[in-house]
Amino acid sequence: MANNKEELLKQLADAVVDMDEEKAVELAQIIVAEGIDAYEAIEKGLSAGMEVAGRLFEEEEYFIPELLMCSDAMYAGLGVLKPHLKAKEGAAEEKVKVVIGVIEGDTHDIGKNLVKILLETSGYEIIDLGRDISPQKFIDAAKEQDAKIIAISTLMTTTMDGLAEVIRLLRQQDIREQFKVMVGGAPVSQAFADKIGADSYAVNAATAVRLARQLTDGVA
Amino acid sequence: MPVVHFKSNDKEVDVIAGTTVLAAARMAGVMIDSPCNGNGTCGKCKVKITGDFANKIAVKGNCGLSDIENSQGIVLACCTDVQDDVEVEPLERLDNESLQIVSNGQNLVVELASPIHKEYDNQTDKTKVMAGKILLGTEEGNTAKENYGAVVDIGTTTVVLALFDIHSGQELATVSALNPQSRYAQDVLSRIKYASTPEGLDTMYFALINELNHLLIEAADRAGINRHHVYEIVFSGNTCMLHLATRVNPASLGKYPYLPALYGHEQVHAADHGLQASPLAGIYLPPIISAYVGPDITSGILAAQLTELAGISLFIDIGTNGEMVLSKDGSLSVTSTAAGPAFEGMNIACGMRAAAGAIEAFTITDEGLKMNTIGDGEAIGICGSGLIDIVGELVAHDIIGKNGKLKDGNLPEHLAEHLVKREEKTVFSLGENVYLLQKDIRQVQLAKGAIRAGIEALLTSQGVAGQEVDRVFIAGSFGYHLNPDSLIHIGLLPQSFRNKIQFLGNTSKSGGQAFLLNQFVRGKMAEAVKEIHVIELATVDHFDRLFAKCLEFSSV
Repeated sequence: MANNKEELLKQLADAVVDMDEEKAVELAQIIVAEGIDAYEAIEKGLSAGMEVAGRLFEEEEYFIPELLMCSDAMYAGLGVLKPHLKAKEGAAEEKVKVVIGVIEGDTHDIGKNLVKILLETSGYEIIDLGRDISPQKFIDAAKEQDAKIIAISTLMTTTMDGLAEVIRLLRQQDIREQFKVMVGGAPVSQAFADKIGADSYAVNAATAVRLARQLTDGVA
Repeated sequence: MPVVHFKSNDKEVDVIAGTTVLAAARMAGVMIDSPCNGNGTCGKCKVKITGDFANKIAVKGNCGLSDIENSQGIVLACCTDVQDDVEVEPLERLDNESLQIVSNGQNLVVELASPIHKEYDNQTDKTKVMAGKILLGTEEGNTAKENYGAVVDIGTTTVVLALFDIHSGQELATVSALNPQSRYAQDVLSRIKYASTPEGLDTMYFALINELNHLLIEAADRAGINRHHVYEIVFSGNTCMLHLATRVNPASLGKYPYLPALYGHEQVHAADHGLQASPLAGIYLPPIISAYVGPDITSGILAAQLTELAGISLFIDIGTNGEMVLSKDGSLSVTSTAAGPAFEGMNIACGMRAAAGAIEAFTITDEGLKMNTIGDGEAIGICGSGLIDIVGELVAHDIIGKNGKLKDGNLPEHLAEHLVKREEKTVFSLGENVYLLQKDIRQVQLAKGAIRAGIEALLTSQGVAGQEVDRVFIAGSFGYHLNPDSLIHIGLLPQSFRNKIQFLGNTSKSGGQAFLLNQFVRGKMAEAVKEIHVIELATVDHFDRLFAKCLEFSSV
């Protein structure tokens, strides 16, 4: 049984990495039938698989379509497992919250959506504000939700200053230390992130997950 | 104050300590490529600080340069502050010496019907200059024969000015130059940002007007005419360029809801803008469709005669911003998509503009690799058309998989030697110091995926399937150099477009010519532009999924 369980969880992780939605559903159903703890299956199966997928992306093996297909498989498996989470585990499961959005003036959100998917599949609770979001709105949402991370993206050089504005407002309101600010998007660079005083700059979605872990001391 | 000496340009400038090398170069009027406008992201502004540089500069961040480069004083101009007197050498890239600009678009036939005509009155010995029924002014003596006009295609990178005889419609001279605004900010968005302040706008505006006057003088000289007999000038170009050329703040273009401050189909006085044509001359601004679909596309619609064609036609301008227009029996819809600068050779490790030494065409034969470089010399980099060919051929020969991954092994012997390791990563080698990285392929995927997704979304919005498209027009001077097979191999265009593709060259110019020579097409195009459906990709359902699907190299 123990062997079987480890084996099944590994297969579930592999199904995510292999982008095999049907297989993920099939394995999740077997896992439920075998009475294996759903929480453990999510952790050691689905999330572990997404972690591998993210690493493959950083190693240039996988690209955006693969990541999306992996997350499809992940969500499909999750759909089966979620109803079987025990109530107390659900409550005990205090997730780290991330407020995410595209800055004011910009409506390009593909990059933001990718970061959202990867953070979500890595166990973060995501509050997605959408696009064309004012700096103050980011702060209000982060305070209201008691978020740990504020993640802001933009594709346009013309709207980059809004990222600096979020940090300026946080400082002005004397709450800079309450949040970690992560920035990303095509015109953004490490140099820019340093200049505006952001906590980290993610060059892509997979890196964003790794950096989020660092910012929250490994807690997802 | 520290002195920065640009040796090979023979220019010096005094700067405040802490000024970046890039800013110093701009002050000195030395052109350093800076596509990301000094954000430290593109790595194209590399320069060498010669001599004992150690304590004279301060480098911010590592900027992705190698230790060897650092030890040689090679730095990014935008990330390096000047602390003391330094000598700066540009790195040999040759990019700006012999830029290839296509200025011969397809010629279309237009009826000669300029609003400008001249009447000589032998009683007074004066010549009236008329615009329709309006008297613009009079000239001494009989100048009735001398009636000229100009079309200016204001590209983000290059400016082309063509001079025409209004009586015959004949092109007299065409001259071109780099757009001087690129010294301050290279891409459209950086320029919008730069010109959002009154000072920035004036810098951009006067730099351009100054260059336009140079071009006008040069063209008139070449054509052997007097530029004071140029009575009308058509400005074609993208929406942002038209704002900058007429000193209109472009800030609203750069922020949602992306509204132009200018809609075109209007005349302004050339003299008000300091253009040294006839003091009576007017500038015609063609209709503007939207913030990211400008008069260059209106000119393109006119040049390709999209409103006249029966059946289904698709017009595509491939560039940093990809624009596409669909015509269903003359009824038009349009969209634009942010492709990024990969096709201009930017964001590509060995990428460069179309200049001497750039690989511009590439095929794989039984003997091995076959490539053409501009100027036929040794390859020193890859320009956009070469990049599309290289990736297209590698996909066609299964060296790049459908998922965009460079294969690791199992290649035929004559190709295997080109797959080499570089800093522990597999790269495809194209010459001694020219290679293609996995990361570069990803950039191509992103660029072509954006354009293909735009095409698919536009077709779907009008209920048109790819097979139903009767003809595909590729516009733009860049498009002129492209190989249609490669465009299909990389999946920028679907397989169903095969044998339907025509290259139209610079339609911004040829359409501008039609606007110049025929006053009636102006009103007609203004009406057509009012009727155009503009599709906003940001509002298309599941556009991110469509985009992700279009990233693949499937030749469907």
